[in-house]
Amino acid sequence: MNKKLSLKNAGTFLVFGGPSIFAFAAVVIIPFIVGLYLTFTNWDVRTGDSSLIGFTNYLEVFRDKVFLQQLWFTLKYVFFTVVIANVFAFFIALALTRGGRGEQWLRTGFFTPNLVGGIVLGYLWQTLFSQVLPYLGAKYGWELFQTSWLTNTGTAFWALIIATAWQLVGYLMIIYIAGFTGVPNDVLEAASIDGAGRTSVIRRIILPLTVPAIVICIFISLSRSFLTYDINLALTKGGPFNSTELATYHIVQKAFLSNQYGVGQAEAVVLFAVVAIIALTQSYLLKKLEVES
Amino acid sequence: MKLRKAASFAIALTVVTGLLAGCSKGNSATNAGKEDKGNEGTQTEQASKDVKLTFFNTSAEVNTVFEELFKKYHEQNPQVTIELIPTPIGGAQLEKFQSLLASGNPATIVNLDAGTILQYKDDFLDLEPEKAKYEALTNPGAIDGALLDGQFLGIPWTAQGYGLLYNKRAVEEGIGGAFDPASVKTRDDLEAIFKKIEASGKAPVMLHGADWSLGAHYLGLTYSLQSQKVEDNRKFVEELKNGQVQLTENPQFTGLMDTFDLLKKYNARKSDPLVADYNRDSADFAKGAAAFYFMGDWSWAVIGTLEGRDADFGILPLPISNNPEDFGNAQVAYSEPKLFAIDDSKSTPEQQEAAKAFIEWMVSSEDGQKAIITDMGLSMPYKDLKAKSTNVMSNAVSEYVKQGKIINIGVINYLPQDYWAKTGAAMQKYLVGNIDRQGLAQEVQDYWKSYAGK
Repeated sequence: MNKKLSLKNAGTFLVFGGPSIFAFAAVVIIPFIVGLYLTFTNWDVRTGDSSLIGFTNYLEVFRDKVFLQQLWFTLKYVFFTVVIANVFAFFIALALTRGGRGEQWLRTGFFTPNLVGGIVLGYLWQTLFSQVLPYLGAKYGWELFQTSWLTNTGTAFWALIIATAWQLVGYLMIIYIAGFTGVPNDVLEAASIDGAGRTSVIRRIILPLTVPAIVICIFISLSRSFLTYDINLALTKGGPFNSTELATYHIVQKAFLSNQYGVGQAEAVVLFAVVAIIALTQSYLLKKLEVES
Repeated sequence: MKLRKAASFAIALTVVTGLLAGCSKGNSATNAGKEDKGNEGTQTEQASKDVKLTFFNTSAEVNTVFEELFKKYHEQNPQVTIELIPTPIGGAQLEKFQSLLASGNPATIVNLDAGTILQYKDDFLDLEPEKAKYEALTNPGAIDGALLDGQFLGIPWTAQGYGLLYNKRAVEEGIGGAFDPASVKTRDDLEAIFKKIEASGKAPVMLHGADWSLGAHYLGLTYSLQSQKVEDNRKFVEELKNGQVQLTENPQFTGLMDTFDLLKKYNARKSDPLVADYNRDSADFAKGAAAFYFMGDWSWAVIGTLEGRDADFGILPLPISNNPEDFGNAQVAYSEPKLFAIDDSKSTPEQQEAAKAFIEWMVSSEDGQKAIITDMGLSMPYKDLKAKSTNVMSNAVSEYVKQGKIINIGVINYLPQDYWAKTGAAMQKYLVGNIDRQGLAQEVQDYWKSYAGK
């Protein structure tokens, strides 16, 4: 009887879980394992031969000074993107849950950039930064916009952050809104009867009760900004003079332009490790802050 | 109840196996292609009826013209079907080519940069038997220029030239009189004209700040100007890799960079040189906002269809010294950048034969030449052309070709794939004053040294 039941369970599991496990294995797990294997070979698509060369590729990664610089650049980029996107998303979500008129429309408006593909969005901002803003800058004499933001390393860095954050904010906002609706009304009412002002309600009640949403949002924005490629490609192409190449961009260039597949793949594995460590640590630490209402 | 469970389980199983089968389909097709090679006898009958070819295209801006051509050829030869594998303009072209190759699913015909074909030469068909036929069809020297390491692997179908393009009206308004292009023989001549144009309130020259233009076309001349022989230029690059060259002591490099300083000084985009909006730079030049433009005849693709553009354009060699006799001061850079090649890794002999016939039709028939010359606006290095070009700039380049006043830039076919991106970045730094001449030479030399022995 018990055996039959477990067989039945396995069948049910296969029915519902089978297709997605198959898909996940086909596009994520198997490529990952093959990729890991590739890092230990000197495989080259031009010659087709590959032999095992141990950890040489990984040594090469740590000798590739440009990659290490790019990794540091990526870390800075991710930090600011995550902070800016989450702060904006939090307050926009707060403003859009007060029951004002036209809230639905505004929510849709903020969410729309997230539906636009990264390439299109990149070109859109490129036009803004290198055509529209300099034009306005010249017309009204704004020092800041006299030249394109994309031709200077410092400003191009911020241009990248602004474009990515702009895309992310809508998505995070939806999660925050869902988080806020989970805050019980009676708690809020009790607080206002006790004479709590708006700021202390946010700080002492809403913030602690939406920690789950914050954890998810930071996790999502972390992983998404670490893996940004399309916006980087369309907005700055790594320029000016390769100074705004994010780690992913560098990896693609390494593998497909410089034909160093093994090294490129090893760099991808290093990036994966960095992202995994940071993302897991932050969710572990933040989870501890969760409270019950 | 039990029956229902069993039924749903069966359905799920078919879905999963269906998915699996769907994925392996592509594989079995290519395997079949491989097997065909083994038993030709049984297959020829079927293959002579229907041949399917795929065409990998890196000239993305003319995808639609190629598709029209494929349709036309199919109407005339119903047994041959050709399918286009398009690539996006300026993006992920090589990545796609490599992934097709790596997955054992390469295109039958490719339209690729000569340098890429060289890198994958083992995967392409040796066209030696066809060589005599094409030598008869093309301009003298055209096939020689397309040889890669002495092998005929790709058929040239287009030619490009670059140098200092000029907008006749803008130049003449600037200097206040008729402009004789032959009067510019040296760098000082050029500077004198720049000065006059600037005094008239116009921008003298447009310097496009993209890495491909600066790295491949401008700095790339350093390698091509060493000698008129590609072999010697290749030797120079080898010496660079071995660290035997001091660029700052190389007359070609210093000459080029002195001219670059001149272009930089009179650049229309001086205030923000790295914006590098190709369409806008080309359009501004075409409308006369700048008198000269360091670019090639391919920019006609943008300029030709522009509203309100000027009509008269020409090309000047880029002077690199003050001695009119120096190589480069009277010559424009010229190359056959793209070649048609045929896959020899997975394609069947029938496919290869059909591909040969189709390529010959494309470059020699009236339909094909009209499509390439009139619709794509490219120039062809072929004799007795059956179509007339409206591309004013490539016609100007042709004048130089006829007189043999060209710089053969074939050495770039032997350079590593990333040279333009890496050295282009160094040129960009120099353009905005981030590094000086010494620093530029150092960065370029360091790049080449990283390829020592490769």
